Amino acid sequence: MTRNELEHKLKQTFKLDRFYDDQWETIDRILKGERVLLIEKTGFGKSLCFQFPATIFNGTTIVFSPLIALMRDQVRNLNNLGISAKCINSGQTQEENSQIISEAKQGKVKILYIAPERQENSEWLEAARQMNLSMVVIDEAHCISVWGHDFRPSFRRIIKLVNLLPSGLPVLATTATATKRVEMDVASQIGGNISVLRGNLLRDNFKLFVVKVSSEDEKLIWLGKNLDKLPGTGILYTGTRVDTEIYSKWCEHLKLSAIGYNAGLDSDSRVAIENGLMSNKWKCVISTNALGMGIDKSDIRFIIHTQIPQSPIHYYQEIGRAGRDGQTAYIILFYNPEDKELPESFIEGGRPSIPKYEKVIDAIKNELLGERGLMRKTNLKQTPLNVIKSDLIEQGIIREVTVGKSKKFEYITNAPALNTKIFEELRNTKKADLDKMIEYVETSQSRMKFLCDFLGDVTTHNFTNCDNTGLKKITVTVTEEWKQKLQDFREDYFPILEVEGRNSNIVNGVAASYYGVSNVGAALHRSKYETKEDFPDFLLKLTLKAFRKKFGQEIFDFIAYVPPTVSGDLVKNFAAKLSQVLKFPITHDLVKVRETREQKVFENYYLKSDNVSGAFSFNQPNLLVGKSILLVDDIFDSGATVKELGKLFTTCGAVKIVPVVIARTVGGDLIVK
Amino acid sequence: MTKEATYWIALAHLPKWGYLKINNLIIKFFHEEKISIEDFFNLPESIWSDKYQLTPQDISDLQKAKSELPNNAFFAENLSSQGFELIPITSPEYSKTLKQNLKAAHSPALLYIKGNKKILYEKSIAIVGSRDAGKNSLEFTDNIAKLASKDFKVIVSGFAKGVDKQALDSAIKYTGQSIIVLPQGITTFSSGFKKYYRQIVDGNILVLSVFHPKAVWSAGLAMARNPVIYGLADEIFVAESSQKGGTWSGVVDGLRKGRKIYVRQPEPNEKNANNLLIQKGAIPVDFNGVENPNSEQMATTSIVNKPSMDTIEDRILKVFNGKTLSAKEILEKLKLDLTTKELTIYLQKMETIQTVKKGQKNYYTLKSNQQEQQTKLFG
Repeated sequence: MTRNELEHKLKQTFKLDRFYDDQWETIDRILKGERVLLIEKTGFGKSLCFQFPATIFNGTTIVFSPLIALMRDQVRNLNNLGISAKCINSGQTQEENSQIISEAKQGKVKILYIAPERQENSEWLEAARQMNLSMVVIDEAHCISVWGHDFRPSFRRIIKLVNLLPSGLPVLATTATATKRVEMDVASQIGGNISVLRGNLLRDNFKLFVVKVSSEDEKLIWLGKNLDKLPGTGILYTGTRVDTEIYSKWCEHLKLSAIGYNAGLDSDSRVAIENGLMSNKWKCVISTNALGMGIDKSDIRFIIHTQIPQSPIHYYQEIGRAGRDGQTAYIILFYNPEDKELPESFIEGGRPSIPKYEKVIDAIKNELLGERGLMRKTNLKQTPLNVIKSDLIEQGIIREVTVGKSKKFEYITNAPALNTKIFEELRNTKKADLDKMIEYVETSQSRMKFLCDFLGDVTTHNFTNCDNTGLKKITVTVTEEWKQKLQDFREDYFPILEVEGRNSNIVNGVAASYYGVSNVGAALHRSKYETKEDFPDFLLKLTLKAFRKKFGQEIFDFIAYVPPTVSGDLVKNFAAKLSQVLKFPITHDLVKVRETREQKVFENYYLKSDNVSGAFSFNQPNLLVGKSILLVDDIFDSGATVKELGKLFTTCGAVKIVPVVIARTVGGDLIVK
Repeated sequence: MTKEATYWIALAHLPKWGYLKINNLIIKFFHEEKISIEDFFNLPESIWSDKYQLTPQDISDLQKAKSELPNNAFFAENLSSQGFELIPITSPEYSKTLKQNLKAAHSPALLYIKGNKKILYEKSIAIVGSRDAGKNSLEFTDNIAKLASKDFKVIVSGFAKGVDKQALDSAIKYTGQSIIVLPQGITTFSSGFKKYYRQIVDGNILVLSVFHPKAVWSAGLAMARNPVIYGLADEIFVAESSQKGGTWSGVVDGLRKGRKIYVRQPEPNEKNANNLLIQKGAIPVDFNGVENPNSEQMATTSIVNKPSMDTIEDRILKVFNGKTLSAKEILEKLKLDLTTKELTIYLQKMETIQTVKKGQKNYYTLKSNQQEQQTKLFG
């Protein structure tokens, strides 16, 4: 069919008049059964380049996308156009997914979106053997490359699949962010005479600002003063999950319209916030970079970073979500020289030490191990273990196989030795990228041009859209009034302990503070390990305040405390003081039935959980029937102890158990599954 | 795995084609026309019928297989991710022994394997026999496996009860190497992969199947894999056979194909068909696998027990079988009368050996150009 005929079809199906020339070039190649890597900026209309051919082909087009939110959006839009599109993802029930799979087998689905992880699912693999397949699309194709900003191991199997697809079956890979190096890597991995089509990536509607500050306080204060003055709605990116919580509580304290979002939230909350973002429910969503990739909202009017990203490409990707409608968007980056430490620690600490790699290799060489078994054998945390596993898979030393229904890791016969040179090389590249990001802060030239240059986008455009090229610089003024507001906030903000679960009557409790964020951690440490004297009174006051804030005047039948491992009677005495003030009777019947070790010596949740499992008992269980219990401890880390006690009390007949602690650590190691 | 896997799966399992027809087609496009399997599948139907003399039915079979290629890709990807490898008959990795023994008429076009595929190059023996073999036969099997392992020969086992299982267990016991030839598809052997995990990791076991990876065990497949066991072995020993069943028909088939087959000379009171096989042309051997058991001085002509004329160097070259070993491990395996230090110096002087550093320790392996290359289909 000619371009004219196809544009006629385009009008009928998609209600669009014509293809852009770049779109047409892609579509033309796809229709001829070729492989294409398409690099175009957000808002270009990349998805039409596969959606349209998909409607021309007989069978089903499969789109691998890592972004559930994006899949949902596109499916909705396609369905509105009357095109049969479906999406299989982990947010849906198994029955829903099975239903969609069976429709796809019957040829009832034109475009099927799935997450790359699905390629490990046997039901899906079985179904894919029976479908009539027309085309394979890899969205966010930069995730294929370890040289990109968002390498995802789950894409490995997609690449393997694409390499096995017969010639003549069209393959389209798309991304909005690829440096030259990533482009070449992705193209060579997909192979098969792939052609690369690259558009220019500049975004003229951005107004780019960098704000240099010398403390976290300055950021919070500027935000407090100015958030409402920014046009429209937008996103604020922080560096850590804890920061999303602190910044959103600060906004709440000031009665600003904002909400916190991070990957630790449950699926329902995440969907609710994504939907709220779409409908401008809040002025600002405060998030880690988990939010926004692929959210198809055209009118995000500002994006603020309180933490410098790891590289210009991370930054370009994150700000790329703003102003897709072509209207002005404010792009603000805060920078305190200390902020460099976080990305530096990611880079330096991103890889575990070599002996840890060897520990994992030896364990897997010895026996076929699953995730839990591996954590138990190696006493490694989830995060470093994930890095090690991914590297070992990448280097062909181990592989992940399915045995029955569970995933196991096996050693590959005749595997090569561990190559540590590649780690060095990756680390140096990342360091150089971070230096480039700092250069972006320090540059006195056009910031847009700086980003385009970094992406390998050749442009001679004359930019006037940043605070170096005509826009007024942003500065922060700290007043006494705002200092006081910040002080008030800090004394009124208490972290939640998330411990609720099935088969237990424990409910979420509260901590007086984060361990490392204030002077609380230092005070605890001094009492426990140096003076061995009771916890200071200010901790009691702060804990009472936290309790009152969350539970008001609620009355409990007992105060119980966690029996000590090494800290002697500190927690007992602390609980006794709480009992005096709150007038809830204290019970001393909670005892250890076997020795446990200090939880902090265990690196992961499974071993912590093993350490305390069955370690406690309650002397007079009948006392607890129908009772509510306030459970006191000093530090809350993984929550394994508190959860174990929640179960114990529940078994004794307690109806409500509430944990209250002095400090909660940051970055506990609970597995989010 | 090469991108051709998808095409090989399509070709190898064409319904009702049979090995000979498939192999003749492969000989035609691969050797005569010198084109890849991918190119062959992309030829127009006219060439299929004119140049390749394919019938309309053949072409329709091929078209159907071709339309399923994208689906095969998903299947092949999963096989590869689970650690299974495909060795097509055109690959230099395909067992030369198998090809020579079975020729175009009986060689499977595609092998599915997991484990140390380098042992496909080694000298090999098969020890076969009934599922309910008696004590004498099992002891014989154990002894032959022991002698073979000592001589670095790979033991081919059909993974059935009785003699097959004994051969495998003994190979493991004497840290020899073995090939398990499955009577089923390779993906249906999960329990075995679990059980022999260590041996597979250490490179001592290779699991091989010639059937569709999802095929479940059946008596038919068990019969069909017998020629593959015989085909993979340089020498065949029969511990015990009754007058019917898999062993009997396998041996008779082997003899008909002109294979030399050794049968354990039974005790006078044994009830089995070993003597019948000897009458049919199989060669009687004693407990040590030595031909003509009645003659003492003939012992030196034993197949597995003949005194090794190998120099230390030859013995070292044979010990690796694709593995990487420390000097100590080599010493233990070869029972050499040397200290570790002396052996280390010796190893480092050998040009064919390469040193591999793992942490602080030195390991040794064969340089890659020591692997045999094989280019012709049926030489």
